[in-house]
Amino acid sequence: MFKKILFATSATPASDHAARVAFNIARGYDAHLDIFHVLGVPSRGYSQVVVDVKTKERVDVDDEYMSWVKEEVNTYYSKYLENGLKFDINVTVGFPAREILRQAKDTNPDLILLGGTTGDEDESVYKKSVASTTLQKVAKSAKCPVLIVNRPAASFWGGLSNITFGTDFSKSSDKAFDFTIKVAKALDCEVNVFHALDITSVSTGKILSQDDIEQKIREAFRMIRAKYEPALKELKNYSMDVWEGIPYIEIVKYARDNHSDLIVMAHHSKKAKQEDAILGSNVEQVIVRAGCPVISVNR
Amino acid sequence: MPEGKYCNKKPIETPEEVNFLLSDTSGNTYYEEMKSLDVDSDLMWATIQKTMKSRLKTWLEICAHCGMCADSCFIYLVNKKDPKQVPAYKIQSTLGEIIKKKGKVDNAFMRHAMEVAWSQCTCCNRCGTYCPHGIDTGIMFGYLRGLLYQQGFVPWEMKIGAGMHRAFRAQMDVTNEDFIETFEWMVEEYEDEYPGLTVPVDVENADILYTVNAREVKHYPEDLAEAAILFHVAGENWTVPTEGWEQTSLAMFAGDWAACKMQVESVYDAMERLKPKRMIGTECGHAHRATVIEGPYWAGREDGLPPVESIHYVEWLAEALREGKLKIDPSKRIKEPVTIQDSCNYIRNQGLKNATREIVSHIVEPGYFIEMSPNKEHNYCCGGGGGFNGIGFFRKQRNQALITKRDQILKTGAKLVLAPCHNCWDAIRDLEEEFEIGIRWSFLKPLVIKMLDLPDHMKPEE
Ligand code: SF4
Ligand code: SF4
Ligand code: SF4
Repeated sequence: MFKKILFATSATPASDHAARVAFNIARGYDAHLDIFHVLGVPSRGYSQVVVDVKTKERVDVDDEYMSWVKEEVNTYYSKYLENGLKFDINVTVGFPAREILRQAKDTNPDLILLGGTTGDEDESVYKKSVASTTLQKVAKSAKCPVLIVNRPAASFWGGLSNITFGTDFSKSSDKAFDFTIKVAKALDCEVNVFHALDITSVSTGKILSQDDIEQKIREAFRMIRAKYEPALKELKNYSMDVWEGIPYIEIVKYARDNHSDLIVMAHHSKKAKQEDAILGSNVEQVIVRAGCPVISVNR
Repeated sequence: MPEGKYCNKKPIETPEEVNFLLSDTSGNTYYEEMKSLDVDSDLMWATIQKTMKSRLKTWLEICAHCGMCADSCFIYLVNKKDPKQVPAYKIQSTLGEIIKKKGKVDNAFMRHAMEVAWSQCTCCNRCGTYCPHGIDTGIMFGYLRGLLYQQGFVPWEMKIGAGMHRAFRAQMDVTNEDFIETFEWMVEEYEDEYPGLTVPVDVENADILYTVNAREVKHYPEDLAEAAILFHVAGENWTVPTEGWEQTSLAMFAGDWAACKMQVESVYDAMERLKPKRMIGTECGHAHRATVIEGPYWAGREDGLPPVESIHYVEWLAEALREGKLKIDPSKRIKEPVTIQDSCNYIRNQGLKNATREIVSHIVEPGYFIEMSPNKEHNYCCGGGGGFNGIGFFRKQRNQALITKRDQILKTGAKLVLAPCHNCWDAIRDLEEEFEIGIRWSFLKPLVIKMLDLPDHMKPEE
């Protein structure tokens, strides 16, 4: 299932939840873990000066400093690194999202794992010049699924038993569904396919009558059956649901009610239609709010 | 120990030498060694006799010490009008002394001259426009830097920067392969959103040859994608060269004249090889100055021009908007107080003020644009020009110099600063970090892309 995992970390407590998950999966799948740390963002023109995300100090980065930081990361995770875990540690300088994507391009992992705030600490000054956050950028452009652990995941991977798959019936959602099925089969877990009918007036342009809503829910149900049921039938347990509301809130509620320990959704890179743009931000909203890890699948 | 391990007169030529010098953290040993570096007075005097243009000599001689240039220099102003910061004094007490003494100056003098040349002048050329005799101190400082570089009295980062150009023909350790690979990668990342987006490499006879700043490749590759998107949407027939793609020149800031020539010739070779109609460089001020304004002289071109017509990015952008190649959706124009940083290098020194104002008229909702005061060719340097931004040894002085721009921006009340120059962009970034005045700053490309009114056939399908 996973042979190579890229774990992007700030190597600070902010990434600890993600770290637990990363090391768990790597062990569970005997996968190779690339522990990747972007130590700071370049500043001061073309100089070597970087603000270190861990120490918050302005430092002159050279080889010696890089190896020192590598050592620090190693120490920070030392208790996880024993007993023949396959890993390496890479440290670099740059804008976190860009460098994570660059590393992914060079190493082709099957999964990128991000802590909720990876690399965004002490970046206040950059946030103003950089339009979106690390997470948004990586989720948008990565070629493999991106797993984001924003809050503590109680039992994860190995203990995974229930997945919520949120769909909006787009092409990228199909990709996300294929991935969901793959994981469910490998881990033998239950899949809940879920669609949230967006009834916010921003999206529909008008207030829907109850009849309209029920009509649309029935349509969505038919779509889910047609699109996903054949594949779902190969699993032991699955369910399908359509709720109405604000999509990202409904998905989070639904996953909580079902005791899901993973949410899978598509990330939309397309900005063609207005609705897609809103759905794109749905994933981000879900990530921030969900009590369990979220996997964003792009292509 | 006259010649040090790190600090010496020998230029850096190879990647190994670059790394070696980089390994001396912050240049601590480098500056220590500099204290005992010998001055080769004979070499310096011989160089002066060979290279010093009569114009410069005349300038030094005719200066009336009238002090009219004083108030024009922002560094003088932010340093409480210290008389030692008057442009005429700064150059007379350094270059002037060297000439008077026929090069017979000592180590301490040279280190002092280095401090003046790199921390008291950004070569912004503002004083030159106020001197009744037309004396341009910025140009003279450029010359002085050359003499200092030759003797090894040059800030650590500058020596490295010039060395990068010699070793990589780029201001950072970015190879030709890195450049093409990164460009292709970025285009791939955006091709879903812009179907048909490509980066044409080494195409002969294209309308546009595009050159960049190596920092974009290394740290801000989105900039490459943005350039590709705008050329693509405008329907331009453009290309990038596999060699000679770096338009900037830290060598110019360093005073490494030989490296300046090497660097600019690599770009000119690309022009000769690919025969484009025009060359367009990225949003960088000093890169334009190096490649388009000064470069022809370094390369010994008799007509004083690059091999093909070369324009700045803002000229192209203004043209594309004017001719309707790029259309702006009026509802997406900037609707907040916004100002623009006029880069000395192409506004004061090449008069492109109208191009940037024209762009503003397309992308800013009427009523929201506020000029800085003074502006256009009278604008002050951002505070980090001429290499000042990157030099750790003179950080304190640089931060002090940022105050002019900070106050100019604050007076406009703008929350957004357009900065179509890498160096200015950096300085403004740093000044926000230093003083936290609550501004944002941006190149033009990303802003324009957000406002584009795309023709239907260019919209992605789903
Ligand atoms: S204004 Fe010109 S002449 Fe007067 S002191 Fe300055 S450089 Fe000399
Ligand atoms: S060129 Fe600019 S920084 Fe240098 S002395 Fe003149 S005004 Fe001052
Ligand atoms: S950095 Fe910008 S403002 Fe400063 S000297 Fe250079 S072009 Fe001028």
